[in-house]
Amino acid sequence: MAARLATPASPKNHKVKAPQPGQPMYGCEHLQRLFNQDQATTNTSIQHYKAILHTIFAKSPLIAQTAKTVDGQPVTELTPTYLCLQCPSTLTEDDRTKHGTKKSHRFYVDSRCGTLYCQMCDDIVYDPTFEELRLKKLGTGSFASRKRKIEELFEATDPVRENPTFLSANTMAASCKAGGLRGIYNAGATCYQNVVLQSFLHNPILRNFYLSDGHSSSNCDVSHCLSCAMDDMFQDFYAAEATNGYTAANILSGFWISDKKAFENLVTTKEQDAHEFFQFLAEELHERNGDGKRPESGTDHTCTCIIHQTYYGKLLSTTTCQNCSAVTNQKQSFLDLSLPLENLSQKKGKNRPARPNGTLTLQECLDEEYIKSDKCEYRCTNCNSMQQARRQTSILKLPNVLSIQLKRFEYKQGRNERAVKIDTPVQFPLELNMLPYTNTARTRDVSAEYELARSCTYDLLCVVVHVGEIDTGHYVSYCRVGDQWFVFNDHKVEVAQISDVLNSRPYLLFYVVRSLS
Amino acid sequence: MVRPVAWEESIAPSSQTPTSHSSTTIIHHAATMSSSDTDGTGKAGVIVAPDDASPMDKLSHAVLDDLLYNIVHDLLIKVHRDEKMARANTAAIKVEKLAMNATDGATADPNPDVVVDTDAAVYKDGQVTLKGNPLKTTKEILCPRCHLPRLLYPTDGKGARKPDPGVIYCKKHPYIQKPGYDIYGQTWVAPGPGRGKKKKDQKFDPNDPSSPAPDTGSAKDRPPNVLSFPSATCSKCKRCILVTRLNNHMGSCIGNSGRTASRAAAQKISNGSNGGSQNNDNTPPGSQKGTPLPGSRAASPRKRDADEFDEDAEDSDLPGNPKKKTKLKTGSGANTLTKKVILKAKVPPSMAATLGKKDKPKASSMLNVEQKVDDDDNKDSTVQVAPKKPTPVPKSASPSKKIKLGPPKPPLPSPGSLKKTKRERDLESESSGTLSSPPPR
Repeated sequence: MAARLATPASPKNHKVKAPQPGQPMYGCEHLQRLFNQDQATTNTSIQHYKAILHTIFAKSPLIAQTAKTVDGQPVTELTPTYLCLQCPSTLTEDDRTKHGTKKSHRFYVDSRCGTLYCQMCDDIVYDPTFEELRLKKLGTGSFASRKRKIEELFEATDPVRENPTFLSANTMAASCKAGGLRGIYNAGATCYQNVVLQSFLHNPILRNFYLSDGHSSSNCDVSHCLSCAMDDMFQDFYAAEATNGYTAANILSGFWISDKKAFENLVTTKEQDAHEFFQFLAEELHERNGDGKRPESGTDHTCTCIIHQTYYGKLLSTTTCQNCSAVTNQKQSFLDLSLPLENLSQKKGKNRPARPNGTLTLQECLDEEYIKSDKCEYRCTNCNSMQQARRQTSILKLPNVLSIQLKRFEYKQGRNERAVKIDTPVQFPLELNMLPYTNTARTRDVSAEYELARSCTYDLLCVVVHVGEIDTGHYVSYCRVGDQWFVFNDHKVEVAQISDVLNSRPYLLFYVVRSLS
Repeated sequence: MVRPVAWEESIAPSSQTPTSHSSTTIIHHAATMSSSDTDGTGKAGVIVAPDDASPMDKLSHAVLDDLLYNIVHDLLIKVHRDEKMARANTAAIKVEKLAMNATDGATADPNPDVVVDTDAAVYKDGQVTLKGNPLKTTKEILCPRCHLPRLLYPTDGKGARKPDPGVIYCKKHPYIQKPGYDIYGQTWVAPGPGRGKKKKDQKFDPNDPSSPAPDTGSAKDRPPNVLSFPSATCSKCKRCILVTRLNNHMGSCIGNSGRTASRAAAQKISNGSNGGSQNNDNTPPGSQKGTPLPGSRAASPRKRDADEFDEDAEDSDLPGNPKKKTKLKTGSGANTLTKKVILKAKVPPSMAATLGKKDKPKASSMLNVEQKVDDDDNKDSTVQVAPKKPTPVPKSASPSKKIKLGPPKPPLPSPGSLKKTKRERDLESESSGTLSSPPPR
């Protein structure tokens, strides 16, 4: 038993989660009995559960999937095994009952997801104490609350956090109807704005920021501030009962009034590129909330503003001179990853047997950019001359929300040079592991680091799709709210199936890091 | 040592894979899934390797089997967790409510000395503990926030059931899945005649009873779930603008410092540059007054500009400003006319709506969108302009427009050829107008 205890000598008494209103105290009557026996039992149960979770989520799956049969023979299964909470045995489903009868051990942990099975209920039970531990482990890889970090982020802006009565006295609970699911009216060729705004609205970090008064429009005296307009929009989406479309008049006017550079080519009332609008909006919001410095692409610019915390990551380019092997490193921050499709779809046709109609996968595109190296000319300071060099880019710091642009356009050479849309389907996953593209993965072997892989796992949040031709068409977006997907077509919101989402031809993809949600 | 994967796996666990579709039965299976009893829950049609299959065949069958089992397992756990926790919380809410009623209503928190006992839970010492499995003891789900029962089925569309009229439900309803409607069961004023065309449509009604109801525009006759497009206030001029024209309006009102810009833009367009993306056209407005007008292509943007002018005219409402009026005449009056004729002449009456819809956005300076409704609204608004104009010049234009628009023209080319010409026109416009503009990537 002691073999599994992570901290056997720990004097700390583990506590059962305090009762919450509207929630039972324990997962079932039997767990209630277990927790009410004595402090020692509670301690060992919780410690044991933590150790089991660690085995399941942070070690090779081979360990948890290998059970010992009654006659002592190890068996590895693909299907879930059951780890006894009260002793270090791992059991197959069939042997679980026998073990229970023999040893009177009644609680087992499912090796696939770490949920607790109670033999007396003959059901999986969700105990508040255990579930909290499980979700923390699953999310952040540790039992220490990482959530606090995010809370700290907002602490400065939220002075009433400590005093719950202040909150209840001064606020009104939003209606249950207000779920943030509303369309945005097309104000005349503004669907490129709508899709980006929807991706902001369903971004959990931005939502928390604005709903916790991160930028309060009542305290801001910048006229036609875009961040205030965002604030108003978030309030309207998440606090009002309205179900009709939203009129983004303030955003639109803020956008027209803005004197930013990005504004100039967006000025006309014609169709625009959603990606450019995303960049514009991100920079504008950074300016309103951040350190006031303009984020210049290509620089290693860091800022603590909400936009940087959400979207910005860092790339590391390593250039190796082919002559003297001198290495130059360059860091740069990025708002999004732009993945070219044109070369890849051509290359693909030559080399490998392609999938039907030249389908690519997102991982192939990422491989091309962030694993493979390319040749370039560069001026080597060591040789003091122009030299051939190998350049390799990898991700130094992953952002919380990873935005990916698939460059669905190319310039056709010829008499009348013009842009052409690349309609190649790109398969993209609901769950994306970014570990292979990080600098960490380049410098050491990470195949056994399950915790690390988990922290680099992203879940698909939003897909922006462009339909139509290169210079005219329509944008729609898919966003996930909880586990449900919705398709946003200007003012119209409909339920979407996952297959609809995955069969779409993405232009922009937004992934949110799992350890947040 | 460790034996190869899955040899021990009999077919038994997978055969429990539920095939039923109702969520409650799935949950029931989830509840029993982890137990080892295999009694007759529906088989999911697992293909068993024949007895004489090679070991490799049997292995791959077994592996596939296990993988499917895992997928179903994960899905079930998710649904099971949501449902069971919702019901456990419901049981807790109910018993807390009873405890609250048992104490005097003075305090917000129930008295911890009260002991309340229901079939599903016990309230004692200020704690709620469960009795039995909430999946069995609790049938409904209460919203954890408003404590009202949740509606469990959508009220319309796929899987709809009639809600109990005697129950007040939580306002969060299951989302509706019904073609043509959004998740709240809403729809927007149908494409077709709007308020601007009302007169014309009434004229047509006897001939064409199948045409959509002419009065979709008036709010009174609409069912409550049919919404119309709202208006919004321009933050600069404080005028109320229909949302579908807001961007256009702001472009001219705020965009390049107001009116002069819109005028300049209009000139640019009438110069044939159409897209309006070239901002380097510095020709002074005056010098362009007499410029001959190009063909029908540019008509639509000009029409929209005419709208702007119209607003300007309303705004100033002065007898003066002859410049404006001349422009109106040349710009909107004559030209829209030619355009309308071209468009409608080719269109069989039944197709008029669809074509107008599709053609419009492309013709109108790359107004993107295949958005039916608001294009249509655009159309309405442009048409509406005519009768509203107080000035003599447009007045003379509008009746003639009506006449031209009125009767559906007999020549009916095949839809194919129609589309072709349309496409050709689009291509033309794309090459002419957008070279300098950034492509939507």
